[in-house]
Amino acid sequence: MFKKVVWPLVSASALILALVFVFGFVTSIIISGGEADVQTETQTESPENIPEEVMPPDGASDILILGDSIGFGVGDEENLGIGERYLDLLEEDSETDTTITNSSVPGFESSQLADLIESGENRTSIAGAELIILSIGGNDLNRLNLEDNVTLAPAFEEALNIYKEDLTFILSEIRSINPDAQLAIIGLYNPYSEDDPQNARFLLDWNHETRLIVNSDAAFAYIPTYELFTYHLDAYLSPDDFHPNGMGYQVIAETLFRILNYSTN
Amino acid sequence: MIALVRNEVMKILLKKKMPLIMILLLIFVGLLSYGQNYAYERNIDQFEAESGETAFDWQGLTTQRLDELEERSQNEAIPGEVRASFDREIEQLNYFIENDINPVTPTAAKFNVSFAEQGITLFIPLLIAILAADLVSSEFSRKTIKILLTRAVPRWKVLLSKYIALLIMTTLLVFIIGITTTLVSYLFFQEWGFSEPIVTGFTLFEGTLNSDSTILIPRYQYTLLIYSLVWFVSIIVASITLLISLIVDTSASAIGILMAALIGGQFLQFFLSDWELVKYFFVTNLDLTRYLTGSYQPVEGMSLNFSILILSVWAIGSIAISFIVFNRRDVLV
Amino acid sequence: MDTSVLKVSHLKKLIQKKLIIEDVSFDIQAGEIVGFLGPNGSGKTTTLRMIVGLSTPTSGDVEICGYSLKKEFVKAMSNVGCIIEGPDLYDYMSGYRNLELLASMSKDVTKKDIDEAVALVGMENRIHDKVAVYSMGMKQRIGLAQALIHKPRLLILDEPTNGLDPQGIHEFREIVKNLAREKNISVLISSHLISEVQLMCDRVSIINNGRIIRSASIDDALVTGEVVWTLDDPQKAQLLLKSTFKVEAAIAGHTLRATVDPERLSEINNTLIASGFDITYVEHKKRTLEDLFLSLTDKHTI
Repeated sequence: MFKKVVWPLVSASALILALVFVFGFVTSIIISGGEADVQTETQTESPENIPEEVMPPDGASDILILGDSIGFGVGDEENLGIGERYLDLLEEDSETDTTITNSSVPGFESSQLADLIESGENRTSIAGAELIILSIGGNDLNRLNLEDNVTLAPAFEEALNIYKEDLTFILSEIRSINPDAQLAIIGLYNPYSEDDPQNARFLLDWNHETRLIVNSDAAFAYIPTYELFTYHLDAYLSPDDFHPNGMGYQVIAETLFRILNYSTN
Repeated sequence: MIALVRNEVMKILLKKKMPLIMILLLIFVGLLSYGQNYAYERNIDQFEAESGETAFDWQGLTTQRLDELEERSQNEAIPGEVRASFDREIEQLNYFIENDINPVTPTAAKFNVSFAEQGITLFIPLLIAILAADLVSSEFSRKTIKILLTRAVPRWKVLLSKYIALLIMTTLLVFIIGITTTLVSYLFFQEWGFSEPIVTGFTLFEGTLNSDSTILIPRYQYTLLIYSLVWFVSIIVASITLLISLIVDTSASAIGILMAALIGGQFLQFFLSDWELVKYFFVTNLDLTRYLTGSYQPVEGMSLNFSILILSVWAIGSIAISFIVFNRRDVLV
Repeated sequence: MDTSVLKVSHLKKLIQKKLIIEDVSFDIQAGEIVGFLGPNGSGKTTTLRMIVGLSTPTSGDVEICGYSLKKEFVKAMSNVGCIIEGPDLYDYMSGYRNLELLASMSKDVTKKDIDEAVALVGMENRIHDKVAVYSMGMKQRIGLAQALIHKPRLLILDEPTNGLDPQGIHEFREIVKNLAREKNISVLISSHLISEVQLMCDRVSIINNGRIIRSASIDDALVTGEVVWTLDDPQKAQLLLKSTFKVEAAIAGHTLRATVDPERLSEINNTLIASGFDITYVEHKKRTLEDLFLSLTDKHTI
């Protein structure tokens, strides 16, 4: 019984299965390993292409935040800001030892950020960052509140043009230092509710222009906040009625997290 | 030689190891698929209760995601490879919508893969250990090694026949695991889901997961790939168990040592993940399937090829030591 | 030409730096039954294990039918059947399946050979039962059958009668004797039952402390050379033995006791009769194997 039935059955099926498994195994290697060959080529090439001084230095942080008070975290009761809150979300998913550098300066306008980056002061942290979060433009736009109705429209046009130039410059500077980092820019929300439709239109135009620049880069994400805040100003704004509170920062961080980390789910 | 292998296969079968393994497998698979089905249904209920909707609107969510992707892939500024990866996800989502399949529904095809992914580091090695642990040690503890080694057969042939028999049984066991998980989970889920498309082929690019190289394949092919990796890992575990079984005299201590190595290795990986040496340990490399799913924490310098290489070195080393030890050993039982 | 079936030369074995076997050499001719005696721990089983290849000698070699165990293991072992310390079988299989399994490991063993071996040990009725339910005696029989299926020229039996009842021992002895007589199989048998060895064996080798201390045919081994004469005038005979043969004899009642070379015994007897002594009884004293064994091993165990 064993010799005539079981043994031929066992040995033949094991042989066939082994062949199938070997086939599958080789296919698996090809699927994930075949690409690795291409990768190693690019990897060996990359040190030649990138100037030596921008190689990621030891101790560089993984997340870099550049920009204004929103990037800094003004208004957050827990003093966490977008970066810390984003990191918390990341760690919920998996254990990481990601570090954050926050180089934001409250009150910064786009031209100031452009100057800062041009100065090369943040060069090493930009080169070493995996994710760079930008928050800029809010102060450029807010300054326009001082204008009167007549001068407002041309002033807006001028401010927007400067902002576009600055952002484009910032982007190209960052890219020349670190071509691989994921970038994200926090869009503007309207802290003044719907009392002035004109203001809201300017803001939307502004965001639209930002989006167009964002779209020109493959690894640049636009983090929309306008829609998030519009109906929840009471809940999301800090007592100064301008900066987000902890909850506000939390929803921005969550949006950031959702947008950047979809592929792993 | 064939006769020797046949003898060894007969011994394994007559020792009634397979029924024990089958029972363990059925219990675990049954519990797991029941649990998963239960959790899924509860999630749906919860979602409905929270959103106040009458039914869980997966179509809405999927369509939303689809629109977003389509919009992005229209963008001229996005490089070709990235757009291609969007297109693959679009294709996948389209399949779900066209076939009216909720992408998060548990199916037999998903369950057997996730069982393999979860089991590959501990449960499946345990089953293999049950099979392999007393291959040599039982000959010693039953003293039958004396009648086995006093035949006109050189010792290396005796061990080789045992090893081949073990490979045969391991191959069958991996197949049985696949079939059992699929059938049992089908009883609970009532969905096969073998033709659903799935994205695979993530690669590691400078420390981050790269989805540019992904491809879309049907689930059944994916299952085959995953089980091929399980098969490879099983053979590695079987080879290492063979060595342990040779060095210790009882199968209980052989299983114990292997389990300690597996669990200890996981601890090591958890606590000392920056320690360079950890990635050369076999336990750290057992989880091959993660390289296909793309759902893993990239570890510096580890890739599918690296892990396969490390595991192969371990297995070949174990086999070599086994043959040397077995050939020289004085039988004193 | 060397006709020995087994030739053991200068075996030496170190286990954990301790010299277990110092220097063991002996050989066995075709059809001979050789008893292998030694107290516990004398190196008896270790020697047998080296002969069947279960353990490797530190130095020295074993030749079976002219094949060196070291260099031609397979050819050498195809001529050996053995039971080492009890018949250990796969008890989750039937006796027959055990034999089938082991038979498939040797070349050219047919189903007929298995059946013959089973018939020889008288196990036809229970052969398909699981080994787990066998009695010790039945296991011994299967053990013998497994040693015989491949028709070896040398049979090595280590304590084969352990756990057998007297009836079983008797049957076992008859089977082994028949094998040697009819099939010309040589047998090396170790046993702690000395009477057993005396009844079965043609020759005996005694091992103690890792050395062979006596190796001879049973008859030679047991002769002591002591002769006792019962005759009418012991005093006169004592003088005659001393003057004619230079043999010192002791008187005890009507008996005269002396140690003489067995070859001269008939000459002495003839002289005594010719001198007119009335000899009623001459006894050529033999030791039991047990006496010999104890006298030899005692001396060496200090």
